[in-house]
Formats: sequence, structure tokens, C-alpha cells
Amino acid sequence: MFEAIVGGLTMLLTPQAMLFMLIGVIYGLMVGILPGLGGIVAMALLLPFAYGYETAAMLALLLGAHIATIWGSSVTGILFKVPGAAKSLALIFDGYPLTQQGHASRALGASATAALMGGILGAIFLAVSIPIVRPIMLFLGPSEYLMMALWGLTIIATFSEGSLLKGLVAACIGVLIAFIGMDPVTATPRFTFGSIFLLDGISFPVAMIGLFAVAEMMKLFVKGGSILDRDVTEQRSTVLDGVKDAFRHWWLVARSSLLGVWIGVLPGIGASVGGIAAYAQAVQTSKTPERFGKGAIEGVIAPDATVGANEGGGLMPTLAFGIPGGESMAILLIAFISMGVTPGPQMLTSNLDLVFAMMWIIVLANALTTLIGLAASPYLARLPAMNANIMVPLVLSVCFIGAFATRGYIEDVVVAAIFGGIGYIMEKYNYSRANLVIGMVLAEMIERNLHISLTLYGDSFIFTRPITLMMFIFIIVTTALPFYRNWRRNRAAAPAAGGGQ
Amino acid sequence: MKTTWKTALAGALALAVSAMLIPFEGQAASDIYDGKVITLIVPNSPGGRMTRYARLYAPYIAKYSGAKEVRIVNKKGGGGVKGTNYLWVQKPDGMTIAFTSVPTLILAQLSGSEAVQFDATKFVYLGRAATEPRVMVVGGTNAIKSIQDVQKLDRPFINPSQGTDEDFYTLAVLADALDFKLKIVTGYEGQADTGVAIIKGDGDGLLTSWAYTIPLIQNGDMRPILTIWHERHPDYPDVPSALELVKGDGKESVQAIVNMLAMHRGFFGPPDMDPKATAALRDAISRAAADPELQAEGKKQGLILLPSDGETEQARIVQITNASQGLVPVLKAALASIK
Repeated sequence: MFEAIVGGLTMLLTPQAMLFMLIGVIYGLMVGILPGLGGIVAMALLLPFAYGYETAAMLALLLGAHIATIWGSSVTGILFKVPGAAKSLALIFDGYPLTQQGHASRALGASATAALMGGILGAIFLAVSIPIVRPIMLFLGPSEYLMMALWGLTIIATFSEGSLLKGLVAACIGVLIAFIGMDPVTATPRFTFGSIFLLDGISFPVAMIGLFAVAEMMKLFVKGGSILDRDVTEQRSTVLDGVKDAFRHWWLVARSSLLGVWIGVLPGIGASVGGIAAYAQAVQTSKTPERFGKGAIEGVIAPDATVGANEGGGLMPTLAFGIPGGESMAILLIAFISMGVTPGPQMLTSNLDLVFAMMWIIVLANALTTLIGLAASPYLARLPAMNANIMVPLVLSVCFIGAFATRGYIEDVVVAAIFGGIGYIMEKYNYSRANLVIGMVLAEMIERNLHISLTLYGDSFIFTRPITLMMFIFIIVTTALPFYRNWRRNRAAAPAAGGGQ
Repeated sequence: MKTTWKTALAGALALAVSAMLIPFEGQAASDIYDGKVITLIVPNSPGGRMTRYARLYAPYIAKYSGAKEVRIVNKKGGGGVKGTNYLWVQKPDGMTIAFTSVPTLILAQLSGSEAVQFDATKFVYLGRAATEPRVMVVGGTNAIKSIQDVQKLDRPFINPSQGTDEDFYTLAVLADALDFKLKIVTGYEGQADTGVAIIKGDGDGLLTSWAYTIPLIQNGDMRPILTIWHERHPDYPDVPSALELVKGDGKESVQAIVNMLAMHRGFFGPPDMDPKATAALRDAISRAAADPELQAEGKKQGLILLPSDGETEQARIVQITNASQGLVPVLKAALASIK
């Protein structure tokens, strides 16, 4: 195994491979910053140019670009509340408040460092767990995925400060929005009102662009000034503070990375769930969960580490079975076949150095992205200080172009504008937009897996499948915990507050 | 001075005449596209296999049609139906065409899908880039070893499915023709999800392409039991083809499905497309398919090429339409079974 690790690195240490990785990373960062375009598009556009070069160079170009798009998406999320891709959505919950408070440099630094640490830890976890990945993938099924999605729902409580009822209303609206379109189980159109456009449902990235970015620009237009809070005149922290933050929270990074690897490994769990799940575990394990959503640096670190680690995990269905885990992996699979390598378990014996070369690419491309990112962060952090008169038209143009680019339909631009209005009203009346998103992401996952579980395992599947039952009990405990903590806090605070309430 | 003036006038006249003549000469089929941009709608994902085929063909279609560019526009959604609806209403001047899985469109139409706004038989078919035989596989450790075992099952054959795609309908037709009970479990997301479900035994088997399944068969994770094609696969001569097993009424339905699947990755234009543009594009697509550079590029990218010309595909669509009316009740019953 050690030979394969060294062999994998040696494959990469050629001028061509290194140059290709650099090109891939720079290109990926640029694609990632544009909302609506993600890693899949970046890889698909590069693929025709990648043939005819060294194997390692080809993989370095494709995987390098894919990895760099992830951090590219984080940048716009943190600075402008524009999620570049669905998977980096959770970053805006705390990343954007940090920007408003004058900590954009710190947030970007923490984000880039956490993604790098996630990438490295993810690769290490993966290398160590190669022998057990296949059995675990075969062990977990739809009923366990259902439990994971239910666990994700528990985070609704976090964003429901002030009124749990308002939080639940927002989440329910999210679920209802997710129901628009063709039902994935029975192929019945729901809430489409005869519109063909709505048959595919509301595009998640488009809704996010509207709900967060467009709404924020509306707010900025009304308020005037800049994104930053009125009393913020200069950056209150540096990129280095962010780097230190990521290292200080190393345990959170480690947990989030492990989560990211497994979300990537398991087919049927989307990457957008990954960021939210990471955020949920950061909140639930924090001693001060009330800071989240208002600019807690952990809220940036956890999702970025998870998304960084996710990529390595995504390689696993390809390596363990020869089945691509997603579209980006399908592109890699094509690259393998063109190189004469048959993807599948035999790669773990006959092409192990190639497997490790990919792990090294993940590590090195992450390192390169982080280096470029850290160098650029102080300059990027100045952007939110722009005046509303420049910022609003600029960001809105990017948003609407991004909304159109997602699927190529002009109707999506209208959807982004409508969601902008919805987001603005929700923000004004204290309905959590984060809860709406969580409802939207998890509704389909719950619906699909509940249906499959009921059909395959029967009505009482929760009690007949031991792992499912254990996860179910875990959900009940973790859901009850914040309520219990609140109750204890209130009881402790009650004598101090006296009759003031 | 006089001579110079006359020479200049003659030159100008000659220029004007030649300028007027050029468009007339341009009426030859191949000049229709000179310097123009052809929009190629691909109603599938930009990262998917369909788009990669389109990207492979686009520069060569431009080369042989004389077009400045063949611009690919992805309009994904509804399993290819939405982008095809868009093509249906485009001007039939030959400047906008589409490329996607033709059987998906025909099956969506036959099953009475609410999304369909087009009539697939009225499109002008311009040529096929590729087609790949489908195969029915079961999990490697499944007790089912052959299609006969499936027919003998005392319970339904469980098929994990991503939804109402061509494999969903094809399997429903096969179950009807080969007389076995079928339970389609929808709700799975993607190939990895359905693939793992049959490997671990949550489901019995599924339909897929040979190209996708070969590494899995070699690993022992999946076992092929039926080829959905006119003949057996040369590398797997022991696996029977569906057509040789079906007898009686079912034969026509299976034949229709096999014909439909044969159309697979095809180019087509809006109804009543300009005949000159049609001739020019059919010619350009055929010549592109025969270009050794395109073939070498396709091989390098792992894209199987099995081209067929536009006239053949147009004739096939008529046969399919005539034969496939008998399929309608089976397709509708399959759709009703998951409601």
C-alpha cells in the first residue's frame, strides 16, 4: 500500500501534470464563482481537451477544476449571499453575517482552510476505509437514508429563534415548493397548474439565488449604503484569523470531514444535503448553539470541511463497483475507460497507484485552491464595501444570468425574481429562509426513501431493521436535547429575571 | 482617362453581376448554411453522455454543412420532453435542430404523458449518431440465473427504477410479452442507486446499456440474462435475445420496442423542415459520421458510434408508429401500476 501511495504521488510530479492542475484550478475557481455553473459543467467542457495527455495530467486537469469550483462557490455565498452551487448553500447562514460585521477576510480564510483540511482528512479517511467501504455501502439502504434526512430536519429548531411556529411554517412552505413538479414516485404532476415549465419543479439553485441574493439586493436597495453594517468602516479581522479559527476547531473539522466522506460514498444522498447535515451537526454539538445564524465561524468551517471531503467519498461508488456516484464521476469514468482502465473493484488491486494518484490530486488541488484563495481573500473581502448603486445592478445581473444559465430557460429568471420577493417578505416578517431551504432539500429525499422503504420492507420497517431503529432513537434524543437545554436554561434564568417577563 | 473610367465601370459591373450570381449558385443544398449558426438543442444535462455525443458531432456537422458554428444549447427537463417541446414550435428553416434519445420521446407520447406537446412521428429525422443494445441484468448473488427463472418465479420480479424512462416502459412490455409478474419500485435516484439496490438484493434486476454493465458483469456483481436487441451480443453469445424468446402476440410489441431502441441517439428537426436544409443536414451528418477523425475522437472518448442516415431513420419512424399502437394499453397499464 505504501508503494502505491508513493507511486501515486510520483505519477503526479511531472511538469505536465502540475501545469494541468494549475490550469484546472484557476479555471475551476472562475467557473465556481459564477452562480448556476458548477463542477459538472466545468469538467464536461474540459473533457474534450484532456485527451492525448499523460493519465495523471488528464485527471489533474479534470479533478483539479472540479475541486476548485467548490471553493469558488463558497466565495460568492460568503460575500454576497449568492450560493454558487447547491452544496455550498449552508455557508451563507453564517458566512454572510460575518461579512456584514466586517469579518469577510476571516470568513474566507476559515472557509478555504477548512476546505483544504476537509479535502486532506477526507482523502486519509478514504484511504484507510477502502476495505470497509463496499460492505458498508451494501449494508445501508433507503430506510437508513430516510433516517439521515429526518435527522437533517431537526435543524429547523435552530433557525426558529423567536417562534417555533414561524420556523415550522417556513419549513412547510419549503416542503410544498419541493412538491411542485412531477412526483418522483408515481410520475403524477403536482401543483403545476397545467404548466409544462413547472413539470420539472422549481430548480433548487434558482430558488436559492432568488431567496437569498435577489432578496438581499432588494433589501440593500431599500436601505442604501453597502452590505456591511453601518458602523463597520474597515475589516475587523484578517485572513490569518480565519486560518487560525479552522485549526482551533480541528475536532469540528475532523467530524465534518468524516460526515462529508460518507455522504459522498452513499449513493442516493445529494451533496446539497451534505452541507446542511454538516451545519446541523455543528449546531447540535456546539455549547452555544444560539450564536449560529448570526455569524458563528463554526457555521462556515463545518460545511466547507464536509464539502471538501465529499469529493473523495464521491469516488467510492466508482471504485468499489464501477458505478458512477454522480454526473461528475460519470465523466471521470469515461476518462478511465479512454485510458484503458476498467473502473471497478479491480482498480483497488491492479491500479491502486492510480487510485492514490486521485487522492493526491484531491489533496494537492485543494492546497492550490486554498493558496490562491488565501492570497486573493483580502482583495475579495473589499468587494462588499461597494456602494449599493454599483452593487445592486452588478449582483442582480450576475444572479439573473446565473438563473438563466442553470437550465437555459427564461422562466427561471422569473422564478428567481419571484423568490426574491418571497425572500424579502420572509426576512421582513422573521420567517426563516434557511428553514424553507431545509424543507425543500429534504422533502424529496424523505419522500423517495419513505416510499422505497415501505414498498420493500413493509409498514413496520423502522422496527424490523436494527440500524434504522438505532438511528431513529438517536434522532429522538438529539431532537429532545435542545428543548431540554432550553428548559434548563429558562429554569436557571427564571429566578434571575424575576417578574420582568 | 476615358479607358480607365470604362475599365472601372466594367469592373464594377462585373462585380455587381458576380455578387448577384453568388446567391443563385448558393442554392445548391450544401451552401444553405454558409456562414450561418445552427442551434442544436440537447434536452439533456450538459455533463451527460448525450451532450458529449452532440459536442463530438457539432464541429463536423459545421465542417460539412458550411455553417460557421453548430451551437449546442442544453434545455434539460422532463426526460428530454421539455427541450423537444421547444423544438416543436421552432421555425422550420433548418437553423434549429435537436439531438436526444428518440425512443424516450416516442414512449412518452405513446404513454399519454401530459408533458408532451409534440407528435414524434412528424419530426424530420436527420440521422442517428449511435445506438447501444440494452440488457436485462440481475444481481450477481441473486438466485435468478436466467430469464426462464424469472418466468418461473412465484412472486413478482422486483425492479428498482429511476422513474418513467425508456427502461421502465421496455421492461413493462417484456413482462407482458414473456409473461412474468413485475413490480417496479420507483423513487430511486440515479444509476448508482438502482445498481447498488440490485447488487445487495433489495431488487432483482434492471435494464441498462451493455457499455455500463460490462465492468459490473466482469466483477461478478451483475449477471446478464436477456439482450433487448435483434440478435445476441457477440461477447455474450449465451445470453438470449428477447426477440428469439417471444412468441405469438407479444412478438410485434417486442419488435416495435427493439426498433424504437435502435433509433436511440438521433438528430431531428421541426415538422415540415425546409427540404433543402433537410437534404443538406442529412448529407452533413452522414459525412460527419464517416469522417475518420470523428471516429478516432469518439473511440478516444469511449463513445460507441453506430450511425445511420436520415432517410433510414425516417422510414423506421413510420414502421414504429404503425406497429406501436398495440403497445399503448401495456404502457398505460405500467404507468397505472405505480400510481
